[in-house]
Amino acid sequence: MEKSDEMVTPGEVLGRATELKAGKGAYVASQNNTIYASLTGFRRIQPPPPDSPDQRPTVEVTGHKAHGPVPEPGSVVIARVTKVMARTASADIMCVGPKSVREKFTGIIRQQDVRATEMDKVDMHSSFHPGDIVRAVVVSFIFSLGDARAYYLSTAKNELGVVSAESSAVLPSLFNFGPKHRRATMVPISWTEMQCPLTGQIQQRKVAKVVS
Amino acid sequence: MAAKPGSAPTTYSPNLVQKTRPPIFKDNDLDWVRPDGRGFHQCRPAFFRTGAVNSASGSAYAELGNTKVIVSVFGPRESKKAMMYSDTGRLNCNVSYTTFGTPVRGQGSDHKEFSSMLHKALEGAIMLETFPKTTVDVFALVLESGGSDLPVVISCASLALADAGIMMYDLVAAVSVACLGKNLVIDPILEEESYQDGSLMLTCMPSRYEVTQLTFTGEWPTPDINEAMQLCLDACNKLGKVMRACLKEAASASQE
Repeated sequence: MEKSDEMVTPGEVLGRATELKAGKGAYVASQNNTIYASLTGFRRIQPPPPDSPDQRPTVEVTGHKAHGPVPEPGSVVIARVTKVMARTASADIMCVGPKSVREKFTGIIRQQDVRATEMDKVDMHSSFHPGDIVRAVVVSFIFSLGDARAYYLSTAKNELGVVSAESSAVLPSLFNFGPKHRRATMVPISWTEMQCPLTGQIQQRKVAKVVS
Repeated sequence: MAAKPGSAPTTYSPNLVQKTRPPIFKDNDLDWVRPDGRGFHQCRPAFFRTGAVNSASGSAYAELGNTKVIVSVFGPRESKKAMMYSDTGRLNCNVSYTTFGTPVRGQGSDHKEFSSMLHKALEGAIMLETFPKTTVDVFALVLESGGSDLPVVISCASLALADAGIMMYDLVAAVSVACLGKNLVIDPILEEESYQDGSLMLTCMPSRYEVTQLTFTGEWPTPDINEAMQLCLDACNKLGKVMRACLKEAASASQE
């Protein structure tokens, strides 16, 4: 940046709340109407959007080092299915939005969250298999008071669901060492089916509609 | 340690140094001379570095005189199984001593309460609501105990949290003052702590001028309490400046 942006540390004064708005990495202390930084980084001022009623510029601290992403309600995550049971499937959340997490978080997909129509007729084993990569959205966990640890995930939209799956097809081997597992990435056929390119076998999944 | 010529080579053995101990106070008028030659209101020069531990989200190393502390911060990461649901984040602190950190081996387990004290000092400064349902783990390891351990641990932990990118209201600086008879001695070393009548540890957020933790032990004459607190607040301010300089230097060094 050509502008000399000032480096700030947590607790440093960034400005007065009467002149500036607090953006990312900054907060307002209500007792003396001052904006302080909450991260270490560079102080940047964003001009206000021209049509907003509040014409104060926003001051933000562009995080020199931000902590790893944390799943938040409404955020789209990429997860790998670990266990499929009668009414739920467990998945390890690996990416939140475009960023990958430092350590995995645990997610649960409930039967009623798999799809939007005919929710009670969902068969979990026809929707997910262990090892599938799914795109899901984090359900607001205000209602999940019973589950302290896992995030509730939902695939109840067209663009959510299995994005990548490996087929478990078994091919007879030419060299007589027993059946050989050759894994291939399955090709989606419809929103409920995926086909293995090696064997032609069709398996059922809740497939995500990839918008190209 | 030096082998006499002609004798069998000696294995390493520590040198027992007989320090001349000052006499135990008979009355309160005797003056104390600090073994390291500092003035009563002079702190030890502080050395801080962040980024000491690569595998942690954030880390810091602090050295004040002989007290050496390293703190690693992990998180925000998933809470362990047994935790209740909470809509704010959780802070988990652990302070441990190395076996070689204290003059007598294994004496570090006397300070089990340091973990909860570190927790109380830090929780007021961290914005827990920015990472709901997850935990931030702070692990402090005292490599060498040279006096005033907990204040150094607290300051170092706050730097490690800033290095990890955890959002905080302000940095946290801590200083302790020992009462030796009629003298107030700031940043006591191990020997002074063993002679003290009372100790005061003050943890504050220097830029916001707010105290997060205040710990008194022992006997304190009332007028000294005020003076000691003023000393601590002033020292925390200066320590805060040193900590900020360290963070800025580390951040600009990694920019290049």
